Amino acid sequence: MSTIIEFKDVNKEYRTGDHILKAMDNVNFAIDEGEFVVILGPSGAGKSTLLNLLGGLDSVTSGQIIVNSEHVESFDDNQLTSYRAKNVGFIFQFYNLIPNLTALENVELMKDIVDVNIDGEAVLDSVGLKDHANQFPAQLSGGEQQRVSIARAVAKQPTMLLCDEPTGALDSKTGVLILSLLQDMSNNQNTTVVIVTHNAILAEAADKVIRIKNGRIESIVNNVNPKKVTDLEW
Amino acid sequence: MLAKKMLRDISKHKAQFISIFLMAFLGVFVFAGVGGESVGLEVNVNDYYEETNLADGWIYSNYINDLFLYQVDCLGATTQMERQLVVDSVADFKNDPDITLHFVENNTISKFYLLEGEKLDIKDKGGVWLDKSFADAKGLKVGDNITFEFENYSITKEIKGLGYSPEYVYHASSSSVIPDFNKIGFAYLSYKAFPEDTVPYNVLNVKFEGTSENYNELLSYHMDGYYNSFVERSEHTSVSQFADEMDQHRMMGDIFPVVFILIAMLILLTTMTRIITHQRTQIGILKASGFKNRSIILHYVSYGFWLVLIGSILGLILGPMTLPQLFYPSMSATYKLPSWDPAWSMNFVYVAVLMVLMSLAVSYYSVKSISSEKPADTIRPKAPKVSTSGFVEKFGIWKRLPFNIRWNYRDAKRNKFRALMTIIGVIGCSALLVCAFGMYDGMNDLKEWEYNDINHYDSKLIIDEDATQAEIDDVADKVNGDEIMESAIEIESGSVKKSASLLVLNGTDLITPTDYDRNHVEIADDEVSISQKMADMLGVGVGDEVKWHIMGSDKWVKTKIDKIHSDPVSQGFIMSADKLEDLDLNYTPTSIVTEEHVDKSYDGVKATNSMKDMTSSWDELTEAMWLLIYILIFFASLLAVIVLYNLGLLSFTEIEREIATLKVLGFKTSALRRLLLTQNLWFTAIGFILGLPVGYFILDIMWKSSGDSFYILPSISLTNFLLTAVITFALSIIVNLMFSRKIKKLDMVESLKSGE
Repeated sequence: MSTIIEFKDVNKEYRTGDHILKAMDNVNFAIDEGEFVVILGPSGAGKSTLLNLLGGLDSVTSGQIIVNSEHVESFDDNQLTSYRAKNVGFIFQFYNLIPNLTALENVELMKDIVDVNIDGEAVLDSVGLKDHANQFPAQLSGGEQQRVSIARAVAKQPTMLLCDEPTGALDSKTGVLILSLLQDMSNNQNTTVVIVTHNAILAEAADKVIRIKNGRIESIVNNVNPKKVTDLEW
Repeated sequence: MLAKKMLRDISKHKAQFISIFLMAFLGVFVFAGVGGESVGLEVNVNDYYEETNLADGWIYSNYINDLFLYQVDCLGATTQMERQLVVDSVADFKNDPDITLHFVENNTISKFYLLEGEKLDIKDKGGVWLDKSFADAKGLKVGDNITFEFENYSITKEIKGLGYSPEYVYHASSSSVIPDFNKIGFAYLSYKAFPEDTVPYNVLNVKFEGTSENYNELLSYHMDGYYNSFVERSEHTSVSQFADEMDQHRMMGDIFPVVFILIAMLILLTTMTRIITHQRTQIGILKASGFKNRSIILHYVSYGFWLVLIGSILGLILGPMTLPQLFYPSMSATYKLPSWDPAWSMNFVYVAVLMVLMSLAVSYYSVKSISSEKPADTIRPKAPKVSTSGFVEKFGIWKRLPFNIRWNYRDAKRNKFRALMTIIGVIGCSALLVCAFGMYDGMNDLKEWEYNDINHYDSKLIIDEDATQAEIDDVADKVNGDEIMESAIEIESGSVKKSASLLVLNGTDLITPTDYDRNHVEIADDEVSISQKMADMLGVGVGDEVKWHIMGSDKWVKTKIDKIHSDPVSQGFIMSADKLEDLDLNYTPTSIVTEEHVDKSYDGVKATNSMKDMTSSWDELTEAMWLLIYILIFFASLLAVIVLYNLGLLSFTEIEREIATLKVLGFKTSALRRLLLTQNLWFTAIGFILGLPVGYFILDIMWKSSGDSFYILPSISLTNFLLTAVITFALSIIVNLMFSRKIKKLDMVESLKSGE
């Protein structure tokens, strides 16, 4: 397995007047292709900052972020935009689907930004939503919407799926379904999945668990035998 | 604390609140400003007439003796009368200026309005009270002497005072529409200043009760034959000229500002509704924390209230103070009024109050509807509206449409209210622009039509009333000209009676009547042609018979209409001299038109006008109209920018989250800008297309209210049509560019975090 994502001495500071907040303090880690990674930490630990940096939504103060051998930290706004388009599939807590477009259209929307042949119906089928293809987000349940959002993220065949509290707005039963879907993608299709959450139970299912606190890496643990999400005790 | 929140909210959403303020301000500013101009004219002139006790009518007679006065008094309706002798004199200057002398018996009616010197003294033998404009042109001062020659007299008097007269608000010679105060003037003297003991009074100024129509009837019934003519106030040259000018201003001052303020109000109200709707969750939080409904409503209602109130009050004060000042300087060169003050009408205040009340009502209802929900519901964002697949999506082509189009179509469909408001805003602005440009074209068109398509002569010689036919023929011969007759007539058809004009052409090719499309209308020697507008007003057509008579004669004749022509400025009949004589009426030429440029004077000719004089007079007379048109174009564009920006801003806030999502997914800023631009352009195109007929309709109303003599149909030239389109679309694109910066700056992380 080859390293696909690498953080090298990454620092991120936020400056408000005289006050400097260190949101990332010398962070180093690497993620291999196809890994199912869980990033854990309490609120304010820097989880979201890490995700924003990795997702190309924000830029580092110093350090290097290497994704697919490319130096993300050196990208300008335009390059970041195409980096996001090509490499990152986002899955948000609140789904963020385009309310004007049907499930299928939300997925096929990705044709507009990446040069990939997308069979929207097949992708929707893979998340179990074949019958809901022509429904609008507001007509779908939360779990269904999140599955559309996963389909949308997967459709463009990104380097990684970045999930920010993907089950935060769902009941636990639906949450498990969503997480196991993500785990299956990692296991069966060799998709790199990074999940940011504060829910420690998920750690047992991860290939790699990165714990952060106060902007620093607390520990990085590789599980030799990760459990199946459905087998966890919620 | 809530007040603090309000101030912070306002400063956070500066642009929206500034646009609320601006719309309230601009709406009232233009309404009261343009209105204040025409109301100001009316108030000034009416005050002036009132203060100087302008006569209600003038009776002209050669025998105004005591018996005559007794008879007029016996009519019963007369409340006040006063004799004067009005004679034309020439003042002793190199250019022989024409000064009309008024020897007054008493100056209690149509009083001289003193500006400098001492009051008019009715016992003063040696003094003269002179026209201030003439005195200024000649550099005359109080205390100077001036000599007048009239008939066989030459009198020299000392100037005791300078001033204006209500009978000379507008005073021009028959040769020029624009007054030249170096050549023309008037003067008031006591009857004692007349060189003879008995003054041969020839005008009786009267004030009377009841309508002038009744008075005229009384007069002609009881005193027929004792007087030459009776002129009522509205027929007086100065009064009617100024009234026409006021009509022109009112025509534009009435309709345009109303449309303007309606649009401003509409957009203002929708903006306020939407700002409050955006505050939905905050209202929920306030409620959840225990604020009373009443204080929440009060808080949100006061948001717009202060801004609209201050904006309206400022507009109310500044509008009439500034806009009229743009018009008055050019007008005061032609018209002489002692004061040119803008005036306020209660209408302005009512409109401003209406604006404030409506904004109060609208914000009250929007907050009320939100705050009457359960706080648990309010605190959550409103469930997004469900999109539905409709008719259009059924077609196979839908699937092949680019995302841009699909998204915009659905967005518009889902936010019908927003779409509707944007379109209405654009309709309003493009209608205003079409209307303003249409006026511009109409005015140009009218000039071109009248002075190029119909009249081809170079000079027009006005024949003296007492010139003999031999003299006239002689002059016509000398200048190679054609004689024509112009006369005021009255036409009656059924119950409709209209003042009109008669033009008798004696085989000239220098005046060629046309139809509305400027095609020459051939009127045969035995035909009578009526102008389109007159035919419309009378409700008659070709083949119908109408009754008419020449003003000043009571001989009515009947005529069948054979043709219809169109004329921009004069409505009535055109016929040949033969036809006129066939009808047993006298053919008496009133002017001679010629292709030659005439600058000599001839016996029997009162004045000579060149085409150039006439067109430049026209230009000067219409100066105020032009100014108004430019102002309208300016404000229509300004309103368009504010409306489009404001609507764009509101839409942007509403779809911010979606834009942020698309940006995170990897859409380029340029693609997102195009996304917004597409919708903007759609709405602009729809609004523009719908705005055309609306503007056309307003223009039609304006031209229709321009008085009986003007005939202009609403039209707009291709150039100006394109210009209107360019302005509308350019504004729409400029506004869009303002948003591209917002897209760039959009904080993706923040926009996505919150559940809202």
